[in-house]
Amino acid sequence: MSSLSTSFFSRPWLVFTSAILFRVALLMYGRWQDANSPVKYTDIDYLVFTDAARFISWARSPYDRATYRYTPLLAWLLYPTSWGGLWFEFGKALFAVGDIVTGWLAFKVLREHKGMEVARAMRFASIWLLNPMVANISTRGSSEGLVAAIVVALLWAVLQKRIVLAGALLGLGVHVKIYPFIYAASIFWWLGPETVGSLKAHGKNADRPAWLDRSMTFFNPARRRLIASSGVTFMALNGVMLRCYGLPFIKHTFLYHFTRIDHRHNFSVYNTALHLNSAYSAEAPGLQIESLAFIPQLLLSVLAVPLLLAKKDLASTMLAQTFAFVTFNKVCTSQYFLWYMVFLPFYLPDSSLLQKPKLGIVALLLWVFGQAAWLQQGYELEFLGMSTFMPGLWLASIGFFLINCWTLGIIVTDVDTKKHAMAACIAPESKKDR
Amino acid sequence: MKQRITYILLQGHGIDPETIQTSNDTLTLATAKDAAVEKRVTAGLSELPQEIVTALNDVHELHIRWTSRVNYDASSPFTSRLPPGLHVFFTPRKADADVNICPLLHQLFSPDLKCDSISQSFSSPPILSERFSHSSSYQYFHPLPRVLQFQTYLARSVCGEFKGPCVREAASLSYASYIDIDFDAISHAVTMAAFWRAGIEAEAARTLPRKWREGDSLEVGVLQVEDADEPEELKMGGYLTVVGEDDGPSPTLFSFPSRHHPLPPSSPATFSTNFQQPAGLHPKLDITFPSSQHLAPPKDSCALHAYLTLPSALFIDRYQLSDPLFLASQNLVTLHSLSGEQDLEAPDWVIKRWGSAALIELTQPPSTNASGGRDAKEWTVTIPTHLRYLQSLSDDANSNSSGRSTLDIPWPTVFWACEAEEGLKMSVNPFDRVNLGYDGLFGPKTMFYHIPPALPEGQAFLLETLEVPVLDPKQGAAWGVQIWTLVAVVLGFGWVLWPLVMSAGRGGEEGGQKKAGVKSE
Repeated sequence: MSSLSTSFFSRPWLVFTSAILFRVALLMYGRWQDANSPVKYTDIDYLVFTDAARFISWARSPYDRATYRYTPLLAWLLYPTSWGGLWFEFGKALFAVGDIVTGWLAFKVLREHKGMEVARAMRFASIWLLNPMVANISTRGSSEGLVAAIVVALLWAVLQKRIVLAGALLGLGVHVKIYPFIYAASIFWWLGPETVGSLKAHGKNADRPAWLDRSMTFFNPARRRLIASSGVTFMALNGVMLRCYGLPFIKHTFLYHFTRIDHRHNFSVYNTALHLNSAYSAEAPGLQIESLAFIPQLLLSVLAVPLLLAKKDLASTMLAQTFAFVTFNKVCTSQYFLWYMVFLPFYLPDSSLLQKPKLGIVALLLWVFGQAAWLQQGYELEFLGMSTFMPGLWLASIGFFLINCWTLGIIVTDVDTKKHAMAACIAPESKKDR
Repeated sequence: MKQRITYILLQGHGIDPETIQTSNDTLTLATAKDAAVEKRVTAGLSELPQEIVTALNDVHELHIRWTSRVNYDASSPFTSRLPPGLHVFFTPRKADADVNICPLLHQLFSPDLKCDSISQSFSSPPILSERFSHSSSYQYFHPLPRVLQFQTYLARSVCGEFKGPCVREAASLSYASYIDIDFDAISHAVTMAAFWRAGIEAEAARTLPRKWREGDSLEVGVLQVEDADEPEELKMGGYLTVVGEDDGPSPTLFSFPSRHHPLPPSSPATFSTNFQQPAGLHPKLDITFPSSQHLAPPKDSCALHAYLTLPSALFIDRYQLSDPLFLASQNLVTLHSLSGEQDLEAPDWVIKRWGSAALIELTQPPSTNASGGRDAKEWTVTIPTHLRYLQSLSDDANSNSSGRSTLDIPWPTVFWACEAEEGLKMSVNPFDRVNLGYDGLFGPKTMFYHIPPALPEGQAFLLETLEVPVLDPKQGAAWGVQIWTLVAVVLGFGWVLWPLVMSAGRGGEEGGQKKAGVKSE
């Protein structure tokens, strides 16, 4: 059995072919279900995307479609869906291709930067490639897979020291989904002298004041390139979109996320407090806890985690950042779990969750149980009309939050204690780059 | 001031002119209790209280339709229906003028109406038929159960002008099945009409037709329906009396094309409405016709429709109702029109608009035999709706702390819409009723055959009550949601930060060394 699986995973073409066929089958099944059942396989969001693409094909704004909250880039990307017929599936196929690219990049990173043998790298890349949840989400037409592809491509580009490309991907990622801005912190910090090499060799310019000297050191060429490239990409994309689609672009793509109420029940620990304070604002306390939610969230995901872990293992740091960002977010739905799942192939191989299988199983079971408890309460509310807001959903969200914090604690400790191995791994790389 | 009172007696019994007694300014109908009655009063602006005249200053057209939640047997020619509650259709004199009739509505009907301004609280129904001049620019609805405040207003501010027991006229409106108030700037007059069903026991429902003031005119008809010669027409026969001018009732027989019709006796369909249980946050509204057999179109070109006015707490997702397979699975044909509040995400406490109005074409039951016959099985169509998150009615003394709120959703109006022949002049109908919300969504040559609602045993009103789960602030306070959420966040945050802080303690020296090691570019 195990030799069978090893022979499967040691043949990448076989794994990729399986991953592709799996998605093709799902796409075909989805088309059949949509045509024959009133219950649709296709995600509602996909209808929003394709409607927006149709508006674009009529030379109108994608924001003419209600609830289109994305960059117009996405609607443009899905332009062929407006041709109708089989082309309707184009976007889903594109998202599925995004999955495969993500898996391929993960495989490359594991091979080239973690020095894994083929079968082992393929096994971990398959956490994404052969994951039914991932394949299902993409083929139903959710764009999360595309964001994952951008983020893993970003990781790959950074590790390859293709800094301009990485900056462009970072700018694109933030333009598309905002949250990847957290990676700016870890990548910036990672691009320190120990990674890109010391600048000592160039010698000291005597005319320069010490403070300028220090800041030039801090903002080394790699970091400057990253800032410039990501800034230019982000602003250029926004500039073009603003010019073409005006203020609705800013309103729906960015401002919406800061003004939305997010009162509907979701996994977030803040949800009940937020719901109470929004619905009964007269009785709400002067300082509303959810309005300060960004403080622990950003302290962890853009300050503490990247500063203390990025130089030890960039990929795992990005996992910890994303996990912290999602766990401490004001709103949290299951699609957000994909944001950190894409980094699992890089973290898991040396993690204590795999090295101590009992710990790993407990963590997995707790994570599943935390969600199941919440989902059960949510089901009773949404479909049975039972008032489970208090205390069921609230306690379930607190329980899930604490489980996630516990897991995050393990991840953070793992990355922290792994530093020597990684430092050894990175050292030869940095020479090559300079 | 002109009054027109129309008694409608049951068909086929004949009307004995001896039952009609007239005096100089009154008329007595001995069989009044068995008759449905419509009373219509037209007053010039000069006859109305100054505050009303001022409020109507910038109004081009205003049509108010209130329908009782109590079910009633409609009597031809008064067969048109609306969902129970207060409907307002309004066109300002100038399109861009900042007219606000909300204060007037608050004063006349209820201070609780969710009405801030025209632009925020009213909806704009689509103009589907350009030729149809009756569509108003703005629409408003509130499921107002009673018109007590309106009656009080009439008694206090209007009755003072008239002699006699005017207050009793206002009181009798408690028994009315519907009340129409119409104003338009061209005629410069306000018309109020009310309809009472036949056979109301309470004496207070009936008032004696009489002139309220010297110089008023009063016309009383005592009529019954006769068999019409044309399907588009209604024929009425009986006696007309112009009180004070005629010596006695004069016989009459007249016919006219009519927009609204009762169902033909051959297909006596009814419908009832209920939410599938458990309703959850996505209630499905079932409209059930007890017998497919009776659900036969009155003419060939007819389509079955439901018109819903949904308070803002409930809404229809137009995108959900765009898939043919899904529509077919719910026995729906198409969502013809949806106007008003359509935000799919906002909670009810941020919504300012009254809600939304929907016109949906329903699937007709399939014929089960070659000759187009249908079986006697019941036929159900389903309208999927969605709930917004609601506030708990914590100020309501009756609400327990179980975290639930109740919503009363009016039954829809269900009818066949049929194409009428060209050249019919519906407006010559002396009993024509327009501005009902749905009529403006069809062409002018449309006839409506109304399907009467039938309340199930034990249900009193044409309202469906929904139990909605809500987050109760009292429970939130009792559990200390704010403080314990904070404790959880601080705990979780501390748990994650602790190993990092420990690491920082160890790594601080390292970082310092690194910085020192790097000199310059």
